[in-house]
Amino acid sequence: MKKWLLGVTLMCLTQTLLAQDILKEDSLQEVVVTGTGTQHLLKDAPVQTEVISRRVLDSFGGKSIEEILSGLTASFAFSEGDMGSQMQMGGLGNSYILILIDGKRIHGDVGGENDLGLIDPHNIERIEIVKGAQSALYGSDAMAGVINIITKKHTQAGIYADNSTRYGTHNDLRQHNTLAFNFGKVSSQTNFQIQRNDGWQNTAKEYAEAMVITDSKNKTVNKFNNWQVSERITYQPSHNLELYADGTYYIKNINRPRNGTHPSCDVYTYDLRYNNASASAGGKWYLSGDKDDTRRNYLTFDADWNKHAYYYTYTAKHYDYVLLKGEEYGDQNGEWFSVAMKPGQRKLQSDQQRMMGQLKGVFYLPYENTIHAGAEYRYDYLKAPNRTEDGTASDWTSALYVQDEFNKLEWFNLTAGLRLVNNRNFGVRLTPKISTMFAAGDFRFRLGWSQGFKTPTVKELHYRYLHVMGSSTFFNIGNINLDPQTSNYYSANLEYRGKKLTASVTGYLNKLDHMIALANVPVGEIPAGVTTAYQGDGSDNVQARMYKNMDNARTRGIDVTLSYQVMKDLSITSAYSYLDTEANMYDTSKDRMTHVIIDGTAYHKWNASVTYSHIFCPCYKFGVNLSAHGSSTRFYQNNGNGKAFQIWRINTTHDLGKSGKMLTYRLEFGVDNIFNYVDRTMHPYHLGNTTSGTTVHGTFCIKFNYGKRVKNNISLTKQKINYEED
Amino acid sequence: MKKIKSFIVATMTFALVAPVFTACSSDDDKTYENIVSEYTVNDEMVAKQKAQSKKDVAVLLVAFGSTWNNAFQAFDKTKAEYEKAFPEADVYVCFSSDICINRASVGENVDDEGNLVKRDYYEPRYLLHAIGAAKYSKIYVQSLQVIPGEEFSAVVASVKKFMNNGYVANAHLDDEYLAQLAEDEAIFLGMPLLNDPEVDVPEVARQLNALYSSETQDGAVAFMGHGNPDKYDTFKANVRYTQLEETLQAINPNYFVGTVDMKDNFKQDVMGRMQDKGISSGKVYLHALMSIAGDHAHNDMAGEGAEYWDPDEEESEDNSWFEYFNHKGYTATVPVVGNHPQGLLELSGILNVWIKHTKEAEFFEDAYHSMYPEE
Repeated sequence: MKKWLLGVTLMCLTQTLLAQDILKEDSLQEVVVTGTGTQHLLKDAPVQTEVISRRVLDSFGGKSIEEILSGLTASFAFSEGDMGSQMQMGGLGNSYILILIDGKRIHGDVGGENDLGLIDPHNIERIEIVKGAQSALYGSDAMAGVINIITKKHTQAGIYADNSTRYGTHNDLRQHNTLAFNFGKVSSQTNFQIQRNDGWQNTAKEYAEAMVITDSKNKTVNKFNNWQVSERITYQPSHNLELYADGTYYIKNINRPRNGTHPSCDVYTYDLRYNNASASAGGKWYLSGDKDDTRRNYLTFDADWNKHAYYYTYTAKHYDYVLLKGEEYGDQNGEWFSVAMKPGQRKLQSDQQRMMGQLKGVFYLPYENTIHAGAEYRYDYLKAPNRTEDGTASDWTSALYVQDEFNKLEWFNLTAGLRLVNNRNFGVRLTPKISTMFAAGDFRFRLGWSQGFKTPTVKELHYRYLHVMGSSTFFNIGNINLDPQTSNYYSANLEYRGKKLTASVTGYLNKLDHMIALANVPVGEIPAGVTTAYQGDGSDNVQARMYKNMDNARTRGIDVTLSYQVMKDLSITSAYSYLDTEANMYDTSKDRMTHVIIDGTAYHKWNASVTYSHIFCPCYKFGVNLSAHGSSTRFYQNNGNGKAFQIWRINTTHDLGKSGKMLTYRLEFGVDNIFNYVDRTMHPYHLGNTTSGTTVHGTFCIKFNYGKRVKNNISLTKQKINYEED
Repeated sequence: MKKIKSFIVATMTFALVAPVFTACSSDDDKTYENIVSEYTVNDEMVAKQKAQSKKDVAVLLVAFGSTWNNAFQAFDKTKAEYEKAFPEADVYVCFSSDICINRASVGENVDDEGNLVKRDYYEPRYLLHAIGAAKYSKIYVQSLQVIPGEEFSAVVASVKKFMNNGYVANAHLDDEYLAQLAEDEAIFLGMPLLNDPEVDVPEVARQLNALYSSETQDGAVAFMGHGNPDKYDTFKANVRYTQLEETLQAINPNYFVGTVDMKDNFKQDVMGRMQDKGISSGKVYLHALMSIAGDHAHNDMAGEGAEYWDPDEEESEDNSWFEYFNHKGYTATVPVVGNHPQGLLELSGILNVWIKHTKEAEFFEDAYHSMYPEE
């Protein structure tokens, strides 16, 4: 027993000492995988990759992925929607951004908005961001870029458990729990998270029915709660084979005001509910070599099933116009009918299911060539009884890809990829991608060109629904005559990564053709049979909008990042992003082409932060992060522009207890939006930022370790880092 | 260790089984049950009314609907007038617009004193079923539409559905009763206001002129109807607006009839016709040519202020007629009664045309067994 204690103490002491080195060399030794699918030191990544490391995430203490991405990079813009987060990356919205969790794309959207509540911020190891459709691996539909969320994995021997509870203003609760154990060849990790917020209201003013009401109950951000449980089991039957199975289950409820007195804008007869589930299994098979060989060829295989269902939960009696389907309706089968929904009942609006199969291999060939090749099949199924003509719709896409990394010359890397996409409706398309990197000392110069190809989604083709946004009501209509979108992304990057200073400048141009967007169309376009019920309250308040191919669009910008280790305990980072967008849209009412700025984009975005951390004694480490981010005016075609803003926040961390102990603790306290910036622009006009003003939060974490733990990331060399294939 | 192993097995099982549960879980679809129970709610309400009144005739007035209090009052008054005209009948009012029903029930608008007004209205398909379930021996279904267009076709469809017993199994009506209604020629369909171009259009023109001829002495008088979008111009009913304008202009050239939805008959087309007649300034009186004065009348027609005027898109449907004419060099006026523009149901001469349509309604002989011949 004494030996055991001694061992653990020794190990932890080493860890503590080494941890300080890690901090110092963090940025130099960071390994990334997203751009090429193979591991590279960040410094040598052939595809320009932005990384938010665990250290930064820890000191920042963000409560959500939105807060993390908007606070720690200058590339993203968010606006909270009714149904999720409207995110923009380089001027392009959610549907152009591929969000991966451990290399797997998250699934499901509502109104083109992803539910980022699926991502548990406490469970993030690091975030990698690759801009443009530069990766052949993840699909050419990532026209804006890829965000790869790499989660924490507790695969070391023994038992690990943690609980983190964060509480703050607006009854904001974020709780995360992990239970992980590893015995021999089997390891299991269970995560459970709860998130909750009561929402807030920045203004009671609302422009509705052509007048300004001053007692609107609409919130700026609605009350919500969600929970998620996930389980992952890995099994290593032999040294060259790893198998895994995992599953998740997720529920989210969004509650809307019930005490309003203006039903055209602030009284709701139903709340929103989401239900996600996933199951996947797969493995990795090393074809040759022993386990210490870093250039072992391997194959990975994955099978995935995902579900994202969206419901109304009625809170009052509500007539809904429903397409009756089924023998039980007798003569009314196939008819649109008014059905009175009762409080407490739920009705499915859409259920998006996806099945994916992937097989890929990495082969190390002579002359420093690394070939990455794979095949992918994806089947999308949409069940939307009242929102599609037939109640269901489906699509499939298959893809083959191959990528070669040529590393023969020390000063030059060439990565070239091809992705061949075959879509059920839109046939075959080949998209090439080329990235080159020139190295000279601590300088890197990268050039990239990639083509993107994005077929219309099942929803863009077939889905139609009434979207009530405050006093505005839209009938959004899918369009089966859409063409696929294509893009050409060009980028040039110059980077310096020294011991203390890292600086990078990237210029990019993204040209999109046939960009798909909702465009206003005459009410007559609303499908026959639905018009009567959906022409609204007799005011023609309903605006019909149909997905259309805009002629073309382009985004271009410059991103600058800078980080400097001032001294051992103190570092500063900053980023700036300049963005210029333009879309050409044919205005049918005026019979002419109009040039518009893409909705929601701002020319200038920036962020900066100072982080100080110091180990005062073996059982107490202090950290503080002061950060700010801001944006210039965000432009919109309708409902006004979003105001420019800057928001400051501070977070302090207190690690308690020697890390060798079975139990360690961490406290965090922070103030967000220190200077109480609030945008009180009335509904439904656009806000630059939805912040409620100053909020405070506190977090308590407890970690439990039992058993022999071997921390692989002590020696942070490229070869030995045990990140899983992401 | 054994415990831990069994725990592992349990979690593994959970991981594999949980998604299956999700996949199989029902979507809580209560559509069928809700339909049946809503029939029951309507049936009970009508049965109670019939038991109280002991009347054997039903008049069902079908309007698109509104959420405005002055419109509710107009419907109340219409109902009262119908009860006078049909003393032997129970009179029911219903809305065909789900959104109007939903919003009226939670209180979309306030009365003139600022109090929230909540009203529950019924849906024609359920209410007609209830009238059948109560076995009224004579039924009048009266359309409160202005033109025999898209909305009216929905009224026709609901009567056909009724006479064909086209309801879900658990809500089937007594087919013998329906057969009897057909045999007795006791189901009547009352036509919209401007049904007959030869009879109704001149009569409505005459009634309108009786009310507004004084305004024509002073300027132009423009009526704003709804109209159907081109694609949904069922029965080509939009032509009634043109016919009404021609008939009114035969009385006085200062009358104009436009719409919010009919192609080539928007506010700018109305102004174009005014200019063709040399009226390019002066007063323009604006009236709603709709059964009640709701959102269209208050906003699209009478809307006043910057919110109703976008100078970049003058012809935008969001720009009100009031602002449009004022910005085009006219002096627009919206005559009001008690703070509100008036709807046609509030004009007794016009309401009488509707009542006449009900009284003269013909037996809807095509309805019975027209849809499901196999039954």
